[in-house]
Amino acid sequence: MSSTTAVPRTAPQRAPVLYWIRRITSNFLVRRLAKALFTVWFVTSLIFFLVRLMPSNPVEVYINELIMYYSLTYDQARDQAASLFAIDLDAPLHKQYFEYMGQLLHGNLGTSLRSPGTPVMKIIVAFLPWTIFSVGIGLLVSFTLGVGLGMLMAYKREALWEPILSGAASMLSSIPSYIIGIVLLVYLGVYWGLVPIHQMRGSRSPGIQPGFTPAFIADIFFHAAMPIATYVLATIGTWILSMKSSTMSTLGEDYITVARARGLSETRITTAYVGRNAMLPLVTELAINLGFVVGGSILIESIFVYQGIGFRLLQALNTRDYPLMQGIFLIITISVIFSNLLADFVYSWLDPRIRIGGGE
Amino acid sequence: MKNDILNQSVSQKSPPLSVQDLWVEYKIERGMVKAVRGVNFDLRKGESLSLIGESGCGKTTLGLALIRLLVKAATIRQGQITYRRDGRTTDVLALKERDMRYFRWRECAMVFQSALNAFNPVLRIWDQIYDTIKAHDGMSRDQARESALRLLGYVQLDPERVIDAYPHELSGGMRQRVLLAMSLLLDPQILILDEPTTALDILTQRTILDLMKRLKAEMGFSMIFISHDLSIAAELADRVATMYAGGIVELGPVNDIFYRPAHPYTLGLIRAVPTVTGEFEDLVSIPGSPPDLIDLPSGCTFHPRCPYTTDRCRAEEPVLTLYEEDHAVACFHSDQVRREADVMWKQQDHHAAGDM
Amino acid sequence: MTETTVRGTRTTFHWIGGLFLALGTFLKNMSRNKIGFLGFLMFIGFVLLTTVGPKLVPEANRADLTAIYQPPSREHPMGTDSQGKDIWAQIVHGGLDILEMALLTGVISTFIGITLGSLSAIIGGRLDSFLTTLADVWLTIPRFPLLAVLATLIQLNSVVMLALILSVLSWAGLYRAIRAQVFSLKERDYVEAAVALDMGLRHIIFSEIMPNMMSYIAISFTFSMTAAIYAQVGLVFLGLVPLTRNWGVMINLAWTQGAIFFRDSVYFIMMPVTAIALFQLSIVWMSRSLEEVFNPRLRSR
Repeated sequence: MSSTTAVPRTAPQRAPVLYWIRRITSNFLVRRLAKALFTVWFVTSLIFFLVRLMPSNPVEVYINELIMYYSLTYDQARDQAASLFAIDLDAPLHKQYFEYMGQLLHGNLGTSLRSPGTPVMKIIVAFLPWTIFSVGIGLLVSFTLGVGLGMLMAYKREALWEPILSGAASMLSSIPSYIIGIVLLVYLGVYWGLVPIHQMRGSRSPGIQPGFTPAFIADIFFHAAMPIATYVLATIGTWILSMKSSTMSTLGEDYITVARARGLSETRITTAYVGRNAMLPLVTELAINLGFVVGGSILIESIFVYQGIGFRLLQALNTRDYPLMQGIFLIITISVIFSNLLADFVYSWLDPRIRIGGGE
Repeated sequence: MKNDILNQSVSQKSPPLSVQDLWVEYKIERGMVKAVRGVNFDLRKGESLSLIGESGCGKTTLGLALIRLLVKAATIRQGQITYRRDGRTTDVLALKERDMRYFRWRECAMVFQSALNAFNPVLRIWDQIYDTIKAHDGMSRDQARESALRLLGYVQLDPERVIDAYPHELSGGMRQRVLLAMSLLLDPQILILDEPTTALDILTQRTILDLMKRLKAEMGFSMIFISHDLSIAAELADRVATMYAGGIVELGPVNDIFYRPAHPYTLGLIRAVPTVTGEFEDLVSIPGSPPDLIDLPSGCTFHPRCPYTTDRCRAEEPVLTLYEEDHAVACFHSDQVRREADVMWKQQDHHAAGDM
Repeated sequence: MTETTVRGTRTTFHWIGGLFLALGTFLKNMSRNKIGFLGFLMFIGFVLLTTVGPKLVPEANRADLTAIYQPPSREHPMGTDSQGKDIWAQIVHGGLDILEMALLTGVISTFIGITLGSLSAIIGGRLDSFLTTLADVWLTIPRFPLLAVLATLIQLNSVVMLALILSVLSWAGLYRAIRAQVFSLKERDYVEAAVALDMGLRHIIFSEIMPNMMSYIAISFTFSMTAAIYAQVGLVFLGLVPLTRNWGVMINLAWTQGAIFFRDSVYFIMMPVTAIALFQLSIVWMSRSLEEVFNPRLRSR
């Protein structure tokens, strides 16, 4: 009486095409990819309609500006606006929309209003890497430390320092990130003078040549230190508490007791049995958290005068440089979507239960 | 509190496991829970001993105590657990943590109820098997794989398919079988099974039981299995021990326990199980509920629910003593119980005959 | 006295008595969690400070250029700012906007979340799939940059407007949470029993599902309050929203006037910062107690 009912590994004889279609569409990753693409389309359309249909239509505003300050005729102004915004103002709205999408696919995000002649894409490319660098390092450090501490705390719940750290983590996670940034700036930089903040402005020092030299690398870390510290402090609380709770509930699972009954070493149990399982819910949180941190970069970079994309966005907002605003917002959103997708990939690699659509 | 419980025949001379006067308690807010109270028994070579009792009577705690896998709040207050194999004798309670780790699974493997969540969801079955082997043996990887495949086939699974599968790809019954196969991996002398079939459906239960009967016959290990289900004991056990409120109240060969019980609790348990031919009037459940393990009744712990209670029962706790050959009981009124049991079985026979 | 008047008086007494009893139980439940109770007290403190305070403390209108950036003293408990104005007075007057907006956003977004979430969970089908996909997509859009962009496109000069926009932008998170909760409650035995006993949809929603969700709703409410404060202060700090008396404005002024970079002016920047931090903390801590209050298992009938 042997009967094994595992997932069939060979395709059925009839209608193999349908079978593969079903397998592909039920695949977790494919669905996520489709959703990511859909979101990108959704956001680009949203931006388009926001800008064009808002009561204070930015295009019209700009046209009026040109007329007022540069004494252009309406037609001249309109032509200039059309080229800068990368849209054709004559065509009906839906045609403008398709042209806009077409331009996007070619990588043309328009031209900056306030830095005439500079394509938006070029500006973005100059500023984006700094944000990716600082946010990336910040999240990496925060996640690693947070997960490690959280797990340690779950194991050592009776220790004296545990409730103190828990409380600190809880407080840190409740305070807005930019408040933490300001506090760091004011106390570390000004009041106690521990950190040379004036030299740390900007993303790199003017004299040092870019390149993979130790001097340059040291320099960029020097400049990014405060924003990174802020990101770490602002997000570590959540990781610590999440990991602690996740580890605690994993420790109570049956398979941990069974693993101990099997005589496995505590090290093996902690890493492959507790660690891997406790971390799973946190990977999904990482994705959500990422969007939030990137969104906050506009504030943090402004506080520390760090030339990342958030900083540039604020400038664009203040100067009403619409094509640039639009472009940066789009890129920020796409980065977040892409990172979420990455997190989904990592998650499906870590958790075999969701790799194929369905189990037993 | 030593007893000569057993008439020692040759096979009983050096039993693989001897438990003497074991007391386990754990502390909770309300007080001290006395989960295991003065338990004495031997596990003989090749036998299968069943621990029967209601939930909360301490049987699982006893099992966990044998491999010292109790929760932090629990302590083994006193007692001795002696393990013997190939002429070596080991004092289990004195083992250091490292040696205890080797002891677990290799000498004595404990399989818990419901293998549904017994496996790490993110590792393949093979990885978990290899983990177990790496933690104990010096077997090479290929040897280990061969061994694993062989055992998986033994428990009637398709070895190639199962070994590379993830736990969630297998059904509950399959996982139980994998766990059984894993338990035999290191050739343990003792197998402790805690409610091995409780969480399974009837058909899978039957499969697992048949499998266990086969394994027991063919592999020669000694087995303790813990259950609340008397019918399973009837099928699998050589000897049965009934537990109540942390102590063993009766211990004897399976036939004796069923047809000639000497403790009111055992009698009550037998009465409470419906038989296929039995009438409804024959079913009698035991009145009352299990005692509070923090605040136990005086004297015999069963006296509040016992129909034969006398003043002596209220004042003095009976000790597990030999009643007949190889049959021990902790009761002052065993003769009465025996008479009652005879009556009950005669009635059963009548009914069975009457229905023909 | 006629019978109806007597009965009327008795009912009024019942009503007042009931109110006191409810208040007492409420306080008792709140105090179960020590941190939560502390948060609750702090929150009440802030509410009093921002609502009653302005009537007691005069506005800091007088600029006194001889007393710039003074440290705390008896005259100026929190020091003075770049124009010699009293910081304490500014703090007292600057919280109302924030409080109003937080509460308003909390109410509106929780309302949207509950409506859409429950409808989605109860009706299911196409509506559910559509809303869920929409919510998933919506959640990936970074909220603060979108707000910042919107701030330049729309005039966000009123608290109501800001609250409305913010609520609309943050519907997705609450929707998801409420929907998950209603789903799990829908499957519970007592709901199924009520359905089987045909106790009527109104009864099921209001007597079975709602009470068990109250703690969840309360928590979602506090959550959206903290998010609203984050967003509002952030926007004001960046100078994107032209609100005037506001802690965020104080921080913005401190920043643009360079108060951050001098030791003397540290009070000007730290006072509003501390106020905001403490306010957020009080809300977060209070939510723990709210959980206890609304937990039906603790309520004695």
